[in-house]
Formats: sequence, structure tokens, C-alpha cells
Amino acid sequence: MATADVTPKFNTREAVDFVIIGSGAAGGVLAKELSSNGFNVVVLEQGHYRTAADFKHDEVQVMFQDQLLMHPGWNDPQTFRRFEKDTAKVQQGGPPPALYARGVGGSSVHFTANYWRFHESDFKERSLLGPMEGTGFADWPISYGELEPYYTKVEWECGVSGQPGPFEAPRSRPYPCPPLPVKSSGVLFENGARALGLHPQPAPMAILSRPHNGRPACIHCGFCMGFGCESSAKSSTLASMIPLAEATGRCEIRPLSTVFRIETNALGRVTEVVYLDAEGTEQAQKAKAVILAANGAETPRLLFLSESGRCPDGLANSSGIVGKYLMGNGHSVTHAAFEHPLNEFKSVQVTRIVHDFYEHDPARGFYGGGGMDARPFLDSTPIMYAQSGLPPGTPKWGSEFKRMLRHYYTRKMTVLGSTTSVPLERNNISLDPTIKDDKGRPAMRMTYMDHDDDLAMATFLQDRAVEILGAAGAKEIWREPVEGGTIQAHLLGTCRMGNDPSTSVVDRYHRTHDISNLFICDGSSFVSSGRGQPTMTIQALAFRAAEHITRFARRGEI
Amino acid sequence: MTSSTKSRRQFLKSSGSTIGASWLAVNTPLILAACQSAHTKIETQAGYENLSQEEAVELGAVVDQIIPPDEAPGATETGVVYFIDVALGGFMAGSASTLRAGLEELQQMAASVQARNHRFSDLSFEQQTVVLKEAENTEFFGTLHFLTMMGMFCLPKYGGNRDHLGWDLIGFNHQHAWQPPFGYYDAAVHAQTPKQGDDHGHS
Repeated sequence: MATADVTPKFNTREAVDFVIIGSGAAGGVLAKELSSNGFNVVVLEQGHYRTAADFKHDEVQVMFQDQLLMHPGWNDPQTFRRFEKDTAKVQQGGPPPALYARGVGGSSVHFTANYWRFHESDFKERSLLGPMEGTGFADWPISYGELEPYYTKVEWECGVSGQPGPFEAPRSRPYPCPPLPVKSSGVLFENGARALGLHPQPAPMAILSRPHNGRPACIHCGFCMGFGCESSAKSSTLASMIPLAEATGRCEIRPLSTVFRIETNALGRVTEVVYLDAEGTEQAQKAKAVILAANGAETPRLLFLSESGRCPDGLANSSGIVGKYLMGNGHSVTHAAFEHPLNEFKSVQVTRIVHDFYEHDPARGFYGGGGMDARPFLDSTPIMYAQSGLPPGTPKWGSEFKRMLRHYYTRKMTVLGSTTSVPLERNNISLDPTIKDDKGRPAMRMTYMDHDDDLAMATFLQDRAVEILGAAGAKEIWREPVEGGTIQAHLLGTCRMGNDPSTSVVDRYHRTHDISNLFICDGSSFVSSGRGQPTMTIQALAFRAAEHITRFARRGEI
Repeated sequence: MTSSTKSRRQFLKSSGSTIGASWLAVNTPLILAACQSAHTKIETQAGYENLSQEEAVELGAVVDQIIPPDEAPGATETGVVYFIDVALGGFMAGSASTLRAGLEELQQMAASVQARNHRFSDLSFEQQTVVLKEAENTEFFGTLHFLTMMGMFCLPKYGGNRDHLGWDLIGFNHQHAWQPPFGYYDAAVHAQTPKQGDDHGHS
């Protein structure tokens, strides 16, 4: 474990081997790998450095005051619009359009921890299915086979509980931990799916079902999705990677450090990273190389903010596609109530999934695929449930409302469908032309409307969810409308990977085509969206990138 | 979490568009200090800090329409008015004028129902229901509904959910840790199989 006395404090005016911007799913892995390989690393994180003891069962702070999401120092608004013809606006109420956690560990701290490997097809669907006109539908420059060893590293080093399912791609090693104990939602979902001839399976989750790598097993407290884990059983990079990085004595995690510019010199090389520290004072850390791992929304924003005379459209953007092809994964939400208590407020969100509809099927009449899972979703905690958990048509107040509140809380479950997102140039992250944050940085602007095929796939999965819940014996089933997303927690594709510098931002090793000592590795590297659970793949990419970056650095090729 | 947190957005919207913004603008240390004082007040049955006694009575009547007392306690007995008192002193201070203006309007509506009684709280429960139906789509009612759900089901340190009465109502049990079986439908599975997560069968 990390001890304070070995944590270095690097001089900002001396170039460290690597500055990593972001300490989340990717940044945490990169920090651990590169410091373990002998390099000096500074990690700049805009949020707080919280530890397990800071994570409370406080629904008011976490779900209603966005404790883990908000910028720790100042108001940093985001704007949203559907289409480029619209004027983007700051949304009133609710979480921001790009929903990510700020703090050491990033969104791996608050995530649900569904850890699905991609399938072989996810990397080569363009070749398998042919072109889709007017879209950025493309193959990855790497294959599942190339990534498989790193998926295995994620499972063993970060800690994943599961059991191989009938549809998954070949694996080189079993899961390190058996599946988490099934919940009532999992039993019902499994029963219903089996009755329909489907193949439900235990959910692979980055939550420990038994002690692993010196961390304890899940205590099933139930404050999981959206919350930080008080017992360090959730395999965030805060719990799994950051302590190992710090224990090398070569990694400094610098929280409350908001990067606003990456500086380049006349040779077109990155020289230093400029940020505001906890006091709001400008600092600059010199670096031999920089790895941008700030998530699929903050990463392109930072490249735009780093524009210069040589790069008027933003850093590493000679292709002009930085920020474009944003993919968020489509979703459908289906609720059901049963006769007896399920008590979904206990334990993790998901224990059973169905991947029968993962692959594209031309018989459906539209592109896409998806996965389904059973979970309490937003109704696991009492205030969220009371606000929005009752079936449509229920009185909103009075004695009948009270009776319904009493009835449904323990008897409800949800099936979530998660789908592909077609990569579209019109869906993107850019800088808002008028709105700025308190420090004068242009606000992040999201432009997003799901492709018709994404919505069709979400509806298809909702129809299957209704069938499964019916077969499971639900007393009532109700749907949330399938409509275009306005909040994206999966921020993918905005600096896509490819071999051609005119159609991609990073190469197959995550080096930017334009700048030899600038690397990007996070959700922005994705070429396709997968089926709704991207973190596993983000981390496999990070393990792989760290290996190649290490090789380049040792050969003097950075 | 997924993009389908839109349902959360919907309820925030339906509760009045200003609420989300004021919740985001909170000052956390201030809230915690206020909560501690509210918790102490509840235990000592002390008075209110931001509401007048009369406002507290009127708000109590409205929140008891939202969650009425029956065989289980209603909103007032669960501490919702104390929660609102705390909220108006801190993180919901921006909504104080909405609530006060709404209460004023409610009194006028009440007076028109039964002229000799001027206060909403003086009306019979049934008369109150009729009056409130007229106001159920206002920002005043949306704000109060939001605060009532908060006050019913929050951690008791926030001043509401007295003695876990709100949690008891819906069957939520706040416990640090759980073990399977968790519910009715997984009980049989866990009775048949060895405890999952034990160290066997996996290398």
C-alpha cells in the first residue's frame, strides 16, 4: 500500500518523464504501469483526493448535490444542443450533459462496474457488415486478439468477479473472483429469460466477490451506482491502481489541478502542461511526454483550448476530427413490480445479464446490437425512488400516493438495455462560443442526437425486456420512453484511433499522429461504441498503451 | 451510471426549474452545520430558525396533504417541516420567496372556500385537498413536493426522516452491510448453493 513518505514531490520546472492528465479508468492504469516501469510520473487531477473513508451513504450530497461530479473550485458549466443548427444552452436542473466524476479515480469511483469485454466483431464491424453512408462507421486498427491479454490484465490486476458466458470471445485465463451472489432481480431476470429460450449469465462486475490483491470483498451495502465505495471492494483505480502507483515512489498524484493548456514549442513538441492549482494559481509542469486521459469530453476540450498559431484548430487536430464522432451508447429502461419483496436496495446493481442480442442481426432491419441487465437502477436509494420510481398514472400526492410509495419500493426492479451508437460527425464536443467558466475558459459544448438505428435497437431491447419480465411473472410492467439521450456517462470516440492521419487522431499505439510526445488514451480513442459498457475496454487499452509507450521511451523514440 | 439518468432530470424539471440550480450552488460546510443544529432541535423539540410558527403550521398542513398521516405517520410527524426549516436557511434559501408567495396565495384560496376561517390549516382535511388540487401544478407545490420527499427519506442528520419513520414506511433498512439472501426470490437459490464468494473452485 502507498505510504506518504515515499510519495515524491516533483519540481514543476524540471521535466518529468510523463505528465498524465486525468486519474480515472485510463489515467490510473497508465500511472501505475509507467511508474512501475521506472518512469517519473505526475498525474494532474482536477477533483479532490478522496479516500474510502470519505464515501458516505449520503444520498442528498451524492445524488442531489452532485458531490462527486461538480468542479471542486468553481462553476464549470456545460451547454447542450441536439443539432448544430441549434443554440446550445446550459440545462437547468439535473446532472450536466457530460456526466463524469471529478476526483482521484475519476468515474471509476462512482460507476456501476459492469465489465463486459468487447466481442471480436466490435473491432471489425465495418469489414463484416459493409459501409454505412453518412457515418463514421469504421474498423479499429487493432483486433480483439491483440487486446485479449490486456483484458485479462484488467480482470486480474483491477479485480473483476464473473464467470465466462456463452457468447463471449475467447479468453486466456478465468476470472480471478467468482460471480457476486445473485439478487432477486437476477433470479427473476434469469428465470424469465430462460423461459424464452435465452441464455442469461452472471454479470461480470469490477467489484470483488472475495478478497483479492489485498482488498476486501463487497459487503453488499447497496450504495453503489453513483457512490464511492466505502470498503474499497469496487475496483476503481482509486482502490486498485493509484496505491500501487504511489508505492513505487515515482508517482505524484496532484489533485485539485485543473489543466487548461498544453504548451508546444517551435518544433511542434509538447513542453509543459499549464494548470490552476487548489488556490487558483497558475502552474506549469514541464514534461518529456504528456498522456491525455481526461475522458472523451474533457480530452477534446483541452486539445481545443491548447490551440496555437501552428495549430489554430486545436492541438493534434490536423485531421479536423478532434471532438467528432461522440458516442454515448443508447439505453432503454423498463420497470416491473412483483408480488413479494426483492429488496433491490441491497448489494450491487447488476447480477445477471443477457447477451443474446449482442451481435448485429440483419433480420431486425437496422444496424446495432446490445446487452441487457437486471438492476434497481435509480430506485435503489429512497429519495430517488420517491421522486421518480412509481408507475405512470400514480397520484403524485395524498393517501393513494403514500400507499403506492409503501408498496413498490421493495417490489420493483428494472431491466436496462444498452446499445451500440453509430459514430456521427454531427455528434461532438466543441467549445461553446459564448459561455465560459468562472476562470474564463470556454465551456464544454455537447451536440448530440442518437442515430435512428440506435433508438430502434433500444426499442427492440425494451420489447425483449417486457417479454422477459412477463415470463418472470411480473405483476406490472411499465416502460420509460425511448428517446435521444441528453446526458451521456459514456464519452467515446472523440479522438478516434486509426492508421490514417487524415481520418483519425491517434495511431494504434495511442500516439497522436501530429505530435510525437503527445499520447491520448481514454474513451476518446474508441472507433466503435461496443454494446454499452466501455470501461473494461478503456482499461485494456490503457494497459496496452502503457506497454507500447514504455517500449518507445526506453528506445528513445519519444 | 448511464445516460438514462434522464428520468432524474425529468423529476427535477417537474419539481420546478430552479431547484436543480439551487442544489448545485450549495455550500457544503454550511449545510452540515445547519443539519447538526436541526438534529439537535428535533431532539429537544426546539422552535424553528427560518420559519415563523405560523408558517410552520401552514406548511405542515400542506406536507400532510402530500404524505397524510394514517396508520403510519405523515410528513409533519416524520420531521419534514424541520427539514424545510433547515433547507431554507441554507441550500434552498433561493426558494424561500417562492414558498412564502405560494403560502400567501394558498391562504387567499382557503379564505375563498370558507370565509370565516382564514388559514389553510383551519380547513377540514377534505377542504384542504380541494384547495391544493388547484395549486398542484405550481412551482410552489413542486418545490414543496420535492422538499417533502427529501425530508421524508433523507439521512436523519438533515433534520427529516425522524427515527427512520420515512424509511420504515417504504421498507428501506439502512444497514452498513448485508448478506444474501437479499429478497424473496433469491432466498431459495442461496439456500441450495454454498455461499458465493467463498474461496473454492477458482484459481
